[in-house]
Amino acid sequence: MSEDTPFEPVESKEESFGAETPVTGQTKMQAAWSGSDDEKSSAQVAQSQQGQIFEQIYQPWTGTLNPRWMRNWAILRHHILGIFKTGHRPWNIPTKLFIFFVIIASMTDVAMALLFGMIGEPTLYDIWGVNRDNLYGHVMGFFPRNILYYPIVAALLVGGMISEDRAHGTSALYFSRPINRFDYASMKFLAVGLILFFIINGTLAVYYFVDILVMGKGWAWIIDTFPMFLSAFICGIILSFTYTSIGLALSSISRGRFFPAIGLVAILMGTRAMASIIDALFDKSVLYVISPYDAVAHVCQALIGTEMTYDHPWVWSLISVVVINGLALYLLASRVSSLEVTRE
Amino acid sequence: MMPDVTQHGTTQTQEWQPVANTPVIMFDRVSKSYGRINALGGVSLGISGGVTGILGMNGAGKSTLFKLMMGKIKPSSGAIKLFGTDPWKNPAPYSRVGFVPEHEKLYDWMTAFDFITTFARLHGMTRDEAETEAKRVLSFVSLSDVMHKKIGQFSKGMRQRVKIAHALVNDPELIILDEPLQGCDPLARTTIMNVIKELGAMGRTVLVSSHILHEIERITEQIVILHRGRILALGNSHAIREMLDQHPHKILLECEKPRELAKSIIKIEEVTGMSFAVPEKLLIETKHLGEVHKKLPETIVNSGLKVTAIDNPDDDLQSILMYLTGGML
Amino acid sequence: MSSRMDTIWSKLDRKSTAIAEFTMRQYRTRISTWVVMIAATVALFLMLLFYIEAMNSEIEAIDNDGDSFDTDGDGYPDGQERLEGTNPDSDASFPSWVEPDPPEKWINEDDIDWDGLSEGENYVGQDDDGDCTSQDTTSQKDTNDNGLECDIIVNIDTVNETIYIDADNYVDEDPDEEKYGKEAGHRAFILGIGKFGIVYLLGIFLPLFLATGLIREEMSDGTIHYMLAKPIARGEVLLYRMLGYLGITWPFIIGLCVTLCLITGFTGPGDGFFRWSDIGVWMSIAWAAMMVSLVYGTIFCGFGIIWKNGVILAIIFAAWELGMAFVAILSGGDSSIRYMSVIGWGMIIVDAGVAISWPDNWFLIETGLWGGGHGEENWLGEINYAPLPGAEPLSAFSGNPNLGVSNWIAFVISTGVLVMQGVAAWFIGQSIFKGKEVD
Repeated sequence: MSEDTPFEPVESKEESFGAETPVTGQTKMQAAWSGSDDEKSSAQVAQSQQGQIFEQIYQPWTGTLNPRWMRNWAILRHHILGIFKTGHRPWNIPTKLFIFFVIIASMTDVAMALLFGMIGEPTLYDIWGVNRDNLYGHVMGFFPRNILYYPIVAALLVGGMISEDRAHGTSALYFSRPINRFDYASMKFLAVGLILFFIINGTLAVYYFVDILVMGKGWAWIIDTFPMFLSAFICGIILSFTYTSIGLALSSISRGRFFPAIGLVAILMGTRAMASIIDALFDKSVLYVISPYDAVAHVCQALIGTEMTYDHPWVWSLISVVVINGLALYLLASRVSSLEVTRE
Repeated sequence: MMPDVTQHGTTQTQEWQPVANTPVIMFDRVSKSYGRINALGGVSLGISGGVTGILGMNGAGKSTLFKLMMGKIKPSSGAIKLFGTDPWKNPAPYSRVGFVPEHEKLYDWMTAFDFITTFARLHGMTRDEAETEAKRVLSFVSLSDVMHKKIGQFSKGMRQRVKIAHALVNDPELIILDEPLQGCDPLARTTIMNVIKELGAMGRTVLVSSHILHEIERITEQIVILHRGRILALGNSHAIREMLDQHPHKILLECEKPRELAKSIIKIEEVTGMSFAVPEKLLIETKHLGEVHKKLPETIVNSGLKVTAIDNPDDDLQSILMYLTGGML
Repeated sequence: MSSRMDTIWSKLDRKSTAIAEFTMRQYRTRISTWVVMIAATVALFLMLLFYIEAMNSEIEAIDNDGDSFDTDGDGYPDGQERLEGTNPDSDASFPSWVEPDPPEKWINEDDIDWDGLSEGENYVGQDDDGDCTSQDTTSQKDTNDNGLECDIIVNIDTVNETIYIDADNYVDEDPDEEKYGKEAGHRAFILGIGKFGIVYLLGIFLPLFLATGLIREEMSDGTIHYMLAKPIARGEVLLYRMLGYLGITWPFIIGLCVTLCLITGFTGPGDGFFRWSDIGVWMSIAWAAMMVSLVYGTIFCGFGIIWKNGVILAIIFAAWELGMAFVAILSGGDSSIRYMSVIGWGMIIVDAGVAISWPDNWFLIETGLWGGGHGEENWLGEINYAPLPGAEPLSAFSGNPNLGVSNWIAFVISTGVLVMQGVAAWFIGQSIFKGKEVD
């Protein structure tokens, strides 16, 4: 196209009027003449030699752009605040209810420790109070926490995170603004990860600090247990990071909300079930490295220092955690960078 | 056969018999509300034969009307008869109906031919019958040359024609087209309009919905105007047009030298008045919008002036509605 | 057109093949279908690797009764001394008339020979190495006091569903771990992978992925309008869509089971070149998985119709079924809550199939758990038998149909119950679908 005639007259072929036709102004002209009752008028327009009836003038935008972090912050709070109030991302009611339920349910140990601590039942308090195993159990306990609570929350959260943007074409709402794909993906990641983090580590912190405050623990006890709490806290971060990265990777490769949710549950439960069958049959625990939950649990056992329930060295599990997260993040990054900004 | 206690229509297992001397479609004081929103309020309508245009703005209740006809939703009150049977929970009369939904989504992975063949077989045709019929309807909408291509590669107009072809495969007596012209370019528009006109000429009952009066006028004279869930006017479009022609139209031209352009435009006899309300803009008044639109391009080209935009400040339908409701839009 | 039809629920062959064919083609164009199937295959074959490795490695032979040890240090193993009638605890007493045996000869020397147990007959066992028959007195040879020398009493207590084993001393006391462990390991693997891997995991995840959106995705896409504008009842749409779904899942399940059957049949232990008796078990596993995927598919598809977030209901239901799977598998057929589930009935199919194809299975388990009758005595004087390798997993993954009827009838009943569950799910699904307003 030459510069002085930006709008080449388009041949009036049938194919040229498809959705992929470049915007030339021709169709608009014809629409304006659609009042006439035959094709004659549209033929006239197509033959118009001047072809310059419309002139498009683009004016550069002269406003000031907010800093990048501020734009990203807007995306992040849009997703997280949607959990509490309207006007932000509309999470569906079951998801909100389930998150509420999980927060309550994962604080059963707080309630039990408080109860038995207050009424002065030292033996029962020892079962529920803060200790090495209970801190591990609060984060990594399999039943019910890592089968019914955290993975399901993660599944519900990642369900439509990226996939529905793909299905509905709403990613255009982001990409038509000065937001790059990395920011888009990382803010979505951070939003899911933070919600999981608040649920897991928030309740863990409540558990630990309520015990200190209410039971009046001394400094000696705090110095003893704080490293354990810190390692459990790190475990919570690893766990929520792992669930989020697998979930968002699944969300980015699919459309609709069914596949990512089921996929996450299937990966977490399926690999663990496989590994436990092999463990039961042949007394070999090495297959647990393919189970994201077990890999994280093994690393956490090493970190917190509880009794190991796996036979293979924990470094293998550590490598597995790194590999699983690396694969998931690679998948997420490559999918988001090639995401078509359209309704797919 | 499944027992159905809430069955409203005739029993599904009986051989369906058309009731003689009833309109193809009967709406008897039909209302439909979604929660507190009244989508349709007390519509009574009987249609048999010919092409009927259902006109209305977005949200006027056109799609609700069609969905009620197709038994997709249940009326809140009133009775609907499709060939004398209640269509809710009773798909039996659909063997005589062809429905073109407004949804744009199609099975992109299928070829047009496969799509139509598959859905023809749901009418109880054998594979061979279905293939013959598919070829027939595809040539009817002039898509024979591309029928073995994937629908995903089609343009919007072609997709609309595939949808129409799919609805015609059972040679229906009643054809319902929900916004068939939406999003089509002029050529596809013309093809589709011709198809609809031809169907009307073949003696079928055709219902077409649109929100553009001129489109409907090019297809049919029999129109129903819906507004806010009620029938505002119904009958011959000429009569409605008569009323409308008393009502002046405006065309807004944006150009560099409006006064010079006005000199050439005043030669169009249908133009009744002109004004220069805003600089670089020319406002034409007329009572014969179609005629003016026909002559305008030639006049502009002959004048050699640059026109940057043409706009109808009052949309046709809106002006009709304005007229019919006495300005209470 | 002469072929026009005016009624629904007729010309089912034409309509059903049209929708079923269409559904299968739709599945084929979706990447997720292939991802799910490939992932399932990879997972199963990964587990198969562990099985093949276990089958090809030797199980260490254990001297269960400890008679290869030479307690008194006279060069003769205890077993040989006992056989020859000398005192194994005194280095002055040894059978000088024979050469000392190498200790290996007294490992795995008296295998369990209980194959011949038939109904009503419960005296089994054979003293292979002769160290029981060489005892001096009758009371030494018949320590269980049943009047027969060197045998084992096996009493089946049908009331408490336990087996009581009382063996004469030195009978079947040192079984062959390699022989038993391979057989038990092989069977345990088939049952473990079959019940948990195929019937439960495949049976529930295939429907979760493939059936939940069967109607719902069409509804949210708006493409359901094409199907519903045809003279065909919504119940028919649901039914034919399910047929298309089964057209994808059933061949997949059958293919996997046939492949696994061939691989394990040729790799597994046994005298023949192929384990023919396994075929029946694999058939029952495949059949159970097919029936279970049918029921789950219909239920999940129904959840999808009811609610646009039907996947939440489906996941909750799947969690319930996971619990029931544990109960059904690990209780070995003793719990009745499993009747309240789908998977419980699927497991009955497998258990009935096992009981038909491997009639000696329960006996193999009890033998292995008894393991020669050695073990530590607890304070009550009961012996905690040390089980043979493979016996515990086999016991964990085996079950009993426990319906109080013969195995064939249990097979038929459980299949019938699953079919009824499927029909009920379809009926509820289609009633809801019929009354659903589709926008």
